[in-house]
Amino acid sequence: MTIPEGILCSKTHEWVAEINNEFTIGLTDWAVEQLGDVVFIELPEIGSTFSKNETFATIESVKAASEIYMPVGGEIIEINEELINSPELINEDAFSAWLVKIKPENFQEDSQGLMEYEDYKDEVQ
Amino acid sequence: MSEDKKTSLYDEHIKLGAKIVPFGGWAMPVQYEGIIKEHHATRNFAGLFDVSHMGEVFIKGKDSLNFLQSIVAQDLTNLEPSKAIYCHLPNEDGGLIDDIIIYNAKGIIEEIEYLIVINASRIDFNIPHMQKMAQGFDVEVINKSDDLSMLALQGPNAKFIIEKMGISQSEQPKFFTFKSAILNACPVFLTRTGYTGEDGFEIIFEHKYASKLWNEILSYKEEFSVVPVGLGARDTLRLEAGLPLYGHELNENTTPIESSLGFFIPKEKEQNYIGKKLIQGQKTKELPLRRKLFAFIMEDRMIARAEYPVYINDIECGVVTSGAPSPTLGKNIGFCMIEFDKLESSLVSKLNNIQESLGMTIQIMVRNKLYNAKIVKKPFIEKKYNK
Repeated sequence: MTIPEGILCSKTHEWVAEINNEFTIGLTDWAVEQLGDVVFIELPEIGSTFSKNETFATIESVKAASEIYMPVGGEIIEINEELINSPELINEDAFSAWLVKIKPENFQEDSQGLMEYEDYKDEVQ
Repeated sequence: MSEDKKTSLYDEHIKLGAKIVPFGGWAMPVQYEGIIKEHHATRNFAGLFDVSHMGEVFIKGKDSLNFLQSIVAQDLTNLEPSKAIYCHLPNEDGGLIDDIIIYNAKGIIEEIEYLIVINASRIDFNIPHMQKMAQGFDVEVINKSDDLSMLALQGPNAKFIIEKMGISQSEQPKFFTFKSAILNACPVFLTRTGYTGEDGFEIIFEHKYASKLWNEILSYKEEFSVVPVGLGARDTLRLEAGLPLYGHELNENTTPIESSLGFFIPKEKEQNYIGKKLIQGQKTKELPLRRKLFAFIMEDRMIARAEYPVYINDIECGVVTSGAPSPTLGKNIGFCMIEFDKLESSLVSKLNNIQESLGMTIQIMVRNKLYNAKIVKKPFIEKKYNK
């Protein structure tokens, strides 16, 4: 598991990282560990837009369904299609199994309050 | 905030890295290595469950049989010593206070007539009810829940492990019977019951033997592939086996007939019992069902969960009571309660006919969209009891 550089995490356990000029969103390793076996991931449609903290996806473990919130607002420009048929990939590596790529609306403002990974780890543990 | 109670095996669960969750006032392991792995291990080999949160009650006194006959829907007249029966404890209106297993303990537990195993979440309702109803009978209702621990060892390899621990297969109790036994030098009550649809045992004993028995059983990991199993897999296993869970498929407002457990209600029972009028009336079809429980399989990848609304022909008419992905079938399964007063009579009569209801399409609302599901027969898997 490699943690993407410059990653920012939300209190609701999403991460966002700028990788090769693309803004990628996923769920943290800690959150995935808490969920256990992931059996289903519902991703949004490409082209849809969500504001910060809005529900954009759902992740289901054997036991329960959990909502996933936008760490920053924006338009969905790509989804990780692989997760639709192989949701268990997120259990193997929460950082390579990203959920969506977005075009942020106002990254500077929305990213206020997000934590660096080390600070996030301290907060959840 | 009151702290959740811990079973005598709590420290063992922590040592094994279990994830602990609150359940019915108890801090219980929901999983160790993973629900899916634990589920398959139980179906294919053996799973060990700490079910010490379950309640145990001893019934003592010369009126024991008459007393129990007056409070359960089943007929205990022919329940011989060592035999067990799955029973319903109704309220005045025919709804259920609890579902329980009654063991005839005569000659097995000293001075005790019956052992009853009850739901953890219902101890505080069930026992006061039984104690109140015991007035006027020469009977004692003794709550042993705080004195006894309980393990379930389930799966095809369970019998081999029990054999290794000192009780040969020919000496093991048969399905739905129990005996007093010495297991690995610990005195226990050994029952051939469970909540998974597999052959297996439940083992009841004093707290002081808990760690010894737990660790001894798990020492057969190499030989018989036994693993510790948490409440997560316990739920998917019982759901596949079509077994109800109190608070989901069973409650105070629903009769056992409405919960599709009519199989367990005798056609006739001479003695009067609390709630008899509606239950027997529904059993003989003289009184109509107000609602009914159905098993379903999703036709889609969506997973139905408890409380999700259920529709038939675009009419909201019920809720999902339990739902989960089935690790054995690779499909999403569940139970739902359909309210008959929401539907027109032709549909109700179709639903009242088991054969006609099978294959019917219903819709489950998942995140504000409707998805198709088909009514199917329960259980979802074939049970493997050692009868």
